[in-house]
Amino acid sequence: MAAFEPVLSRNWNVPDSHTLPVYESRGGYKASRKALTEMDPDKVVQVVKDSELRGRGGAGFPTGLKWSFLPKDRTQTFMCVNGDESEPATFNNRLLIERDPHQFIEGILIACFATKAATAYVYLRFEYIHAFRIMERAIADAREKGHLGKDIYGSGFDLEVYCHRGAGAYICGEETGLIESLEGKRGWPRIKPPFPAIEGAFRKPTVVNNVETLACVPHIIERGADWFKSIGTPKSYGPKLYCISGHVNKQVCVELPLGVTTNQLIEEHAGGVWKGRKAKAAVPGGISMGLLSAAEFDVPLDFEEIRKPGCLGLGTAAVTVMDETTSMVDYLYNSCRFFAHESCGQCTPCREGTGWLYKMMKRIKAGGGRLEDLDIMDNLAKNMGIMPGTTICGLADGAAWPVRNALAKFRGEIEDYIKTHQAPRYQVTPLQQAIAHGQSPVGSDTPMPDPTRRLPGPDLSTRATAHA
Amino acid sequence: MATIIINGTEHTLPEGEKLNAIQAAKLFGHEIPYYCWHPALSVVANCRMCEIEVGSKDPKTGEIKMVPKLVPGCQTPAKDGTVLVTDSEKVSVHQKMIMEYLLINHPLDCPVCDQAGQCGLQDYSYEYGQAAHRFVEERIVNPRKDVSDAIQLNQDRCIMCTRCVRFTREITGSGELNVINRGNHAEIDIFPGQPLDNPLAGNVVDLCPVGALLDKDFLHKQRFWFLSKHDSICTRCSTGCNIAAEENRGQLWRFRARYNPKVNDYWICDEGRSSYKSANEPNLLSAMFARGVAGGGLTQVGVEQATTLAREGLQRMAREGGAIAGILSPFLTVEEAYVMSAYLKGISSSAVLALGPIPSMGSDQTFTPDKIAGRNGDTSFLVPRPFTIHAEKCPNRMGVEAILSHFQGEVIDYAAISARVASGEFRALFVASDAIDPAYMEDDAAKLRRSDFLVVMDTTVTPLARLADVVLAGATFAEKAGSYVNFQGRLQYSEAALPPRDGSLPDLDLLAILSGKGTAPIHSRTILAEVATVVPAFSIVTEGKVPEFGVIIGGTPEPATVGAFPYTDPWLTPRGDHPTESGPNGRKQP
Repeated sequence: MAAFEPVLSRNWNVPDSHTLPVYESRGGYKASRKALTEMDPDKVVQVVKDSELRGRGGAGFPTGLKWSFLPKDRTQTFMCVNGDESEPATFNNRLLIERDPHQFIEGILIACFATKAATAYVYLRFEYIHAFRIMERAIADAREKGHLGKDIYGSGFDLEVYCHRGAGAYICGEETGLIESLEGKRGWPRIKPPFPAIEGAFRKPTVVNNVETLACVPHIIERGADWFKSIGTPKSYGPKLYCISGHVNKQVCVELPLGVTTNQLIEEHAGGVWKGRKAKAAVPGGISMGLLSAAEFDVPLDFEEIRKPGCLGLGTAAVTVMDETTSMVDYLYNSCRFFAHESCGQCTPCREGTGWLYKMMKRIKAGGGRLEDLDIMDNLAKNMGIMPGTTICGLADGAAWPVRNALAKFRGEIEDYIKTHQAPRYQVTPLQQAIAHGQSPVGSDTPMPDPTRRLPGPDLSTRATAHA
Repeated sequence: MATIIINGTEHTLPEGEKLNAIQAAKLFGHEIPYYCWHPALSVVANCRMCEIEVGSKDPKTGEIKMVPKLVPGCQTPAKDGTVLVTDSEKVSVHQKMIMEYLLINHPLDCPVCDQAGQCGLQDYSYEYGQAAHRFVEERIVNPRKDVSDAIQLNQDRCIMCTRCVRFTREITGSGELNVINRGNHAEIDIFPGQPLDNPLAGNVVDLCPVGALLDKDFLHKQRFWFLSKHDSICTRCSTGCNIAAEENRGQLWRFRARYNPKVNDYWICDEGRSSYKSANEPNLLSAMFARGVAGGGLTQVGVEQATTLAREGLQRMAREGGAIAGILSPFLTVEEAYVMSAYLKGISSSAVLALGPIPSMGSDQTFTPDKIAGRNGDTSFLVPRPFTIHAEKCPNRMGVEAILSHFQGEVIDYAAISARVASGEFRALFVASDAIDPAYMEDDAAKLRRSDFLVVMDTTVTPLARLADVVLAGATFAEKAGSYVNFQGRLQYSEAALPPRDGSLPDLDLLAILSGKGTAPIHSRTILAEVATVVPAFSIVTEGKVPEFGVIIGGTPEPATVGAFPYTDPWLTPRGDHPTESGPNGRKQP
């Protein structure tokens, strides 16, 4: 590990790192010149494929493979760069853009050359006003110096890059939601197929890549696929920007080889847990990826190993640490509130499910919890998302995973909370309870009439006694 | 030969149709419930009701591989080797879950909801839902609002299938409706100050699977289950849209679109939709009248007396060697035009037959949805078809012309016959008016009065009727059965939706009495069968039966129609009508 040399963040602390002369003086735009003048697009795709670069946006899909899904006979291709970065506690794209925009533009240039895209759209998060201005300036500078525009480096390749600001929706970080939003529509993810590689932005073949993914590309071209594969763990190669936030002494974004552990991040880079406390849990890669308990902090944070303790994936590698005083009820409440607020409202299970989870957590937090609520939550969480196949995009998985992980790992604590926090004002009324169980309200001596034939649905005869 | 396996049974798929799993399952008698899917709209798969287990059979080894997760049926193509499981435990648990979700914020106001009885939520709750509900939190009550002067949106009932939004974007291209807000606060809405007022707007009410979009014209007027539905043809323009005329207690309450891929697809225009009102007008002719029976003016007479007077008057003129003319309205059915022409030619072989005035308004308006442009989601199953509202505001010009051409080899238009009548050429004139709006104003009426003896068959008190010698009270479009030939030359059959009004008789019966065929009610199918044997243009019709989607007359071959798979939303299909037993659509063949 000691030999690791940061590449993505190498310019971050250089004065005026966002300007073109500084970037060029530090070896910038060499890789793009090499790619455009010495290589052909298929060769570039092959190099990226060989490097086994996986998308840094969250899903970890192999980038070279994604590029090779484009139809061979396409006449027009669009590149969309996902800079929406709306996952809570994630800020690596912001630093990449604000501190080193030209590295990013060089990545765009090479990726567009490889995919034969003459237009690239950089979709930036609404809140990134500063990054937007820096990008606008950087694009103008690059264009003036011939790194963008017509016939770049005399290779005959044209490229225009446009910046587009979102309108503040989490869902627009989903690739098809992003495309819809870019087209000026409501950010509702599209069903697949057709995949964006076949029919994406403006119904043309489209590649959607994350900012960090593209920032890796110039280095792969410059140093070769073997260099890239020498970093990281099997199936998860290369450097990665880890964001560490939450209850630590130093909230930072550091570049490390893939596969460091949470413990290493906290102790070596974040200065330990704050106030001398112990850590209780951590979110491994953005809120949607689930939850690691302190006992699981030695699991390597890469694309494969992180699944073993039951997390959804590496996500954006934004680790949020929670200390021992943090209530898991608060964590779940916050997570459910976030997803209920951000669900786009398209698919029924997500639209209604996230809202239901949120309301349930709100009631539990206020003191109206029932133990059976946890079973209902677990059941809801297991049935929403693209994993069970009930939604179009992964937002519902992201909403479900914190619930599933928290209930699997901290159920005892949440049950204790429910038992010790009971406020009559927020409790479920006997009538609500009765309706929910399909039985007559407590205290009423009029039994519900027996249906002449069994109604569709669960057999209520057994339930009635269970909750009596 | 492509085979598909549904719930363990192999079926052979029809050639040349691109079906999805829902359609294929329906074809072979399995129901996959759905809300957001509609064959004319792009597939967005957002209701998630139609999720099933899907797999494929390896053609070589015969091994079946299932997709591990649930897949929306609306998006699954039915191909050779596709395996569908629609009735497994996994699927039914999922359906229960979706029903539970959809009912979270849905008010249980079925007793006062117009959709009750034909509601997707009600039907599927019963078939696929559950009796208990685990939701004990506070519900969201979204507001009610007007999306136009004619359409109300009860947002609390909406299940966000977005059919209406896609309709305005993809079919009319006007895009008035949109979705605002996110998550479970999402609502359908219009842009400020831009109501949903395109000419096809009313179709969103038909499209809505629940009672969220409501026609204010019909709101709280009738319960759906009391309405009897009649397969009719709209008479408002020459398109000849297929409609379901819904009647109760001798009154029409509304028209809904009826599927015909060759004519109107799934839609009707708002003008046609509201045209039912003219059949309920209080000032329709309620009796027959004759001049000179008692005193000088028009006097009310019985049916027998009126028809006798008319027949004797016409015959007397013919006997005296006077010229006779008949003017046939383009609102007459083919059968009526035939009987009337045969009758007048029977009185005098030199009788002149002419076509009445062709009402026209504006210009043709065509909506041409594109397969790709303006659409979202998966459009691979779509076969877009245009919809035209014609400027020619009558249903049967082509049909009447075909009859006239047969009887006298040419069609005399109204301008010519009007000039000839005005010049005093004819001693007797028989005018079948029957238009919804009066076809002859004072000037025209005065010209036509130049004949010595004037018989008028009409439905309202028009200026011409006031001048007539005999006024026969005929049937409105809703009261008569018969066939119309639309702008394509397509013969379509329309059922009568209402019984004849008191004091009137259907035109066909009146004409039969005049022709001396007796007073027993005469069936239009009998006449149509006769027309088919006598008039070569109609020879394609056999035994008086018109196929479900109509038939092109005059020997022109039927154009091939792709993607014309029979379709009715299941909540509108009468229960118990099995899709495969009584023909496509679950409807009996006429």
